[in-house]
Amino acid sequence: MTEIQPDFSVIRYFLPRTGAHIVTIDDIVSLDRFHVHTSGKSRLNLGLGETSRVLEIFCNPFDAVESSMSTRDHDFIHLALLVVWAAAWATQASGETEPEQDTLAGEHWSFQPPNDPALPAVRDALWPRGAVDRFVLHRLETAGLTPAPAANRRTLIRRATFDLTGLPPSREEVDAFIADQSPEAFARVVDRLLASPRYGERWGRHWLDVARYADSNGLDENVAQANAWRYRDYVIEAFNQDKPYDDFIREQLAGDLLPCDDPLARNERLIATGFLSLGPKLLAEVDETKMEMDIVDEQIDTVGKALLGLTLGCARCHDHKFDPITMSDYYALAGIFKSTQTMDSSTKIAKWHENPLFDEQFERAKAEHDALVAAEQAALDTLLADARAALQAKLGEGASLPEKPEESFPEQTCEQLKQRRAKIAELNKNVPEAPTAMGVQEGEAVDVAVHFRGSHLTLGDTVQRGLPARLSGDNTPKVDPTTSGRLALAEWLTEGDHPLTARVLVNRLWRWHFGRGLVSTTDNFGVMGEPPRDAELLDWLAIALVRNGWSIKHMHRLIMLSATYQMSSDYDAASVELDPGNQQHWRSRIRRLAAEELRDALLAVSGQLDETRGGPCLAVKNREFIFDHTSKDETSYESLRRSVYLPVIRNHLCDSFTLFDYTDASISNGDRNTSTVASQALYLMNSPFMEEAATRLADRVLAVDVESDAARIRWLYETVIGRSPAADEIVRIETYLGRFEELAAGNQSEFPPPAWRLVCQTLLMSNEFSYVR
Amino acid sequence: MSPYGTNPGRNAISRRQILRDSALGFGSLAAASLLANDVVGAAAPPFTTSLSALPAHFTPRAKRVIFLFMKGGPSHVDTFDPKPLLDRDDGKPLPFAKPRVQFAPTGNLLRSPWKFLCYGESGSAVSKLFPHVAQCVDDICFLHGVHGTNAAHGGACLKLHTGSDTFVRPSMGSWVSYGLGTENANLPSFVTICPTLAHGGVKNWGSAFLPASCQGTPLGVASQPSTAATIKYVQPANNLPVVQRAQLDLLQEINRSHQLEAGPSDELEARLQSFELAFRMQNEMPEVQDLSRESVTTEALYGMDQSTTEDFGRQCLLARRFAERGVRFIQVTHSNTDVQWDQHAKLKEGHEQNALEVDKPIAGLLTDLKSRGLLDDTLVLWAGEFGRTPTVEGSDGRDHNPYGFTVWLAGGGVRGGYHHGATDPYGFFAETGKVHVHDLHATLLHLMGLDHERLTYRFSGRDFRLTDVSGHLVKEILA
Repeated sequence: MTEIQPDFSVIRYFLPRTGAHIVTIDDIVSLDRFHVHTSGKSRLNLGLGETSRVLEIFCNPFDAVESSMSTRDHDFIHLALLVVWAAAWATQASGETEPEQDTLAGEHWSFQPPNDPALPAVRDALWPRGAVDRFVLHRLETAGLTPAPAANRRTLIRRATFDLTGLPPSREEVDAFIADQSPEAFARVVDRLLASPRYGERWGRHWLDVARYADSNGLDENVAQANAWRYRDYVIEAFNQDKPYDDFIREQLAGDLLPCDDPLARNERLIATGFLSLGPKLLAEVDETKMEMDIVDEQIDTVGKALLGLTLGCARCHDHKFDPITMSDYYALAGIFKSTQTMDSSTKIAKWHENPLFDEQFERAKAEHDALVAAEQAALDTLLADARAALQAKLGEGASLPEKPEESFPEQTCEQLKQRRAKIAELNKNVPEAPTAMGVQEGEAVDVAVHFRGSHLTLGDTVQRGLPARLSGDNTPKVDPTTSGRLALAEWLTEGDHPLTARVLVNRLWRWHFGRGLVSTTDNFGVMGEPPRDAELLDWLAIALVRNGWSIKHMHRLIMLSATYQMSSDYDAASVELDPGNQQHWRSRIRRLAAEELRDALLAVSGQLDETRGGPCLAVKNREFIFDHTSKDETSYESLRRSVYLPVIRNHLCDSFTLFDYTDASISNGDRNTSTVASQALYLMNSPFMEEAATRLADRVLAVDVESDAARIRWLYETVIGRSPAADEIVRIETYLGRFEELAAGNQSEFPPPAWRLVCQTLLMSNEFSYVR
Repeated sequence: MSPYGTNPGRNAISRRQILRDSALGFGSLAAASLLANDVVGAAAPPFTTSLSALPAHFTPRAKRVIFLFMKGGPSHVDTFDPKPLLDRDDGKPLPFAKPRVQFAPTGNLLRSPWKFLCYGESGSAVSKLFPHVAQCVDDICFLHGVHGTNAAHGGACLKLHTGSDTFVRPSMGSWVSYGLGTENANLPSFVTICPTLAHGGVKNWGSAFLPASCQGTPLGVASQPSTAATIKYVQPANNLPVVQRAQLDLLQEINRSHQLEAGPSDELEARLQSFELAFRMQNEMPEVQDLSRESVTTEALYGMDQSTTEDFGRQCLLARRFAERGVRFIQVTHSNTDVQWDQHAKLKEGHEQNALEVDKPIAGLLTDLKSRGLLDDTLVLWAGEFGRTPTVEGSDGRDHNPYGFTVWLAGGGVRGGYHHGATDPYGFFAETGKVHVHDLHATLLHLMGLDHERLTYRFSGRDFRLTDVSGHLVKEILA
């Protein structure tokens, strides 16, 4: 075996200048990975294939480290040295260098500040109602397409109501809108919906997807995050109050650092920092240093995807291959999060930090409790002193008391003492608990060294805390060395001309309204993401957001009052021929209800929905196992409250959520799937939840004060689908009512009659109920 | 140049073409509706209810996998990896350094309480814990140099099942479903029988960002007896089948009228079809789970006539029945309400009981598959999330050991009676013929006809693989 002395200066010198991506990793030779360093080959004899092979090992730091450590501690060092050399060699051999990352940054659209575009010219001047329509129509006209006609009012109010509140419109709301002939009618509907507390419950939930919100840790040790709900409620309220998006970001990244005199507002800001702490953590990770860096990595990854639309996490192990994020940038950010305290202890099972909250009620209760304990204690002390004095008197002055004087107290005194002590113990069992919220605070301000291949076992030069310079050029704010730098990060992100923050948000809003973003990769605006379908519209929206005080409700109005939003989803053969995927948005997309909408709508139309807002949702205490290795299961989804208030138990989400494409709740996700699988149908056909909904709905329809089945059927259609049935639809249902009764004959003892229950369930299973047009 | 291998990802166009042309399997509905979202120029797919499985990259050696998961980490040095030096040096210190990261501190070397004997033509050594499996050694390919990266149950389970202990990734069963589809339109392509909800739980059979149809369908959970294991909601609640059929007829009438008004739509059509599939599956599942037609001899072969082996025996028999019916990936988990194989103490009692519960059923499964000609194209994988230390924890236990342990394969395309790789003479570290968990995944996919570097899925702007940027085919073990 050739002994190679490890020389870290060589590694430090070469690595930032090369990097594994310079050499292709295809064409792999079959070379036993653990013989690389013992093969006896001198450096110069390594072929390109072998080089690639070594590099590949090097690309996967944890495996490479652990596997070689298991043979000999020095192996990795040898390996690293070889890799560095091989990479350098390959660079020379190929005579190529990667394009400078600055060049990449200079070219990529999303790293440029938004342009304030001129409104494009359109031929049909009558159709557009505003700027959004001008952009959309321009593209449609260019593609030879015409926009679909406006949707009818029933369709429109159902669409808007689900869209903004996640619930179906009531029969009265539909009737009122149809009766309102004013041109402002729809604007009034939008305003009414935006003012409803149901709005925050729907749009806050969108953000919770991005924030990978959950009420349990998931991953390895699935313990309760029993205070996470405070963050959930904070988000819902932020949307309801139309908190400016820049404030919203500042509070989530650095709420604890914002000056604030009002204790309640301060609570809110402390709660907001839960954003950084909510991620899944390997709480039983044996290697504590790795745990710390994994948590930092999760935070960077989430901040990157959620706020910047960039996959920063890649740069943990290597310079980003496409985006202008180097390892140095990554570790400059890592320093910010390492200087932030997220955890209180990292010994398994590790404990995350929680910030104490001000709560007048608690302060009062605590004071009362303390006073009670003090009074009891004083009474006890007096009792003891008196008893001792009595004993002294009995024994005579000057006599020393026995070692355990209480044994010589009279029986009655002993009994009193026992009672007093029991009372104090009882009181101490019920100390009022200080309210706390998951969140972060400043930690020790430190810089982090580059971790080669992401491993904390191979460190390079230390990098000063800072912000990704290549995204913002020379004006990048500096991090005050006495702070973590979180505040600087938040301020940098919310400067109005930041190229990504506003674009990423308006694109999310577009995605949540229309089912597909202008950039379809909502969480990736990097070079590997999709380019925008309409860059000018995106920029126009981004600028509009900032100009209007980062108001999200303003953006809803802009979008929903457009002719674009109000188009019908009607099929048109000629347009389908030209644009079958509706890429240019010539009609509205039909959309399946999201998991929460489906459940909430089922509860609403069956009259079961409990509209209580906010508050805790778990039956177990903070940090206790929701379920553990014994498969004990403390999850309960029995509540009839809106879905946003059901617990989000990672690894064990509510069944219907999992079935209907809910977010995973562990990764930031701004673009849920919509799948159609048979298990969804099974749920709708056979689950107790559906049976209950159908039964309750049947109760309701039978209680309606009308004479005929036809009238009941009409009520049912209006309640469930928001429209009246056609004559043939009434006949169809009547026919089936008869058939069901026949088939279920002998099974008719129960009330309501199964026939009506079956009809109700069928309507609840129908496409028309599950889809918004 | 792609950073994650220069081979193009699994050809998206042809895959989509295939889905469009013919398939509407249990697994393909989701893909079909996804198509509607991102394919430009696609005409409305002519949906049919016929099924065609998706083609592999090359000729597969196995058509399906049965994964026998021994939750908790069975000890390799007490089962399939005999270490005579442990007998000699019992009570002495390990003569080299222990790993830097350990789950719990351990002491000196501990000999195995069980004798090893040699079996079969291959003369493979098996301890007395597995007398029945020992009779099958000539069909088994032992990998003695397996190693992982995580010393805790959660991380190690996730690593074994998904290839990652740091990020949420699709499970191997879901990758196989994604790659190959299903052979039976009426059943899911990936089922997991009595899985544990702990240590990763659903992530271990989840599909992460792959289409939802690829995820494992659980039957029961670990804490339930296998008699209670069934797919959720597959039993009609209170409805007579004939009534439910009439109800679906009404539903489809309503849906058809709606669609006439809404115009042609893949999504609405797919949803309409999904109810028909569900109805067929509802009819098929009771038949799969009805063991009454199995002979007494078969049941006895799986140990279902004895209380100790009855539960796991039923799981194994169910696995065979799913295999016969074209399910791609069947996982069977041996875990009770404790972390079954996790003997930090009382190694002897614990392992004896655990082995007793699974030995006969596993041997029964291998024998049964073979006699039915199914073993040729069924790959059986036996593994825990790690092995155990040759050094003692407390006075009579062993700690977690991800640094070297034994996993075995049988059937579909692997060399029977073959031993690949070895741990060091004490059994602590994998030393030769090392097979990382990524390598195991690469090899498993290869046996299924899939190239682990070409089986990719683009998510959020990046191509993902089960093996990430690692994984090497272990060629030596291919038959």
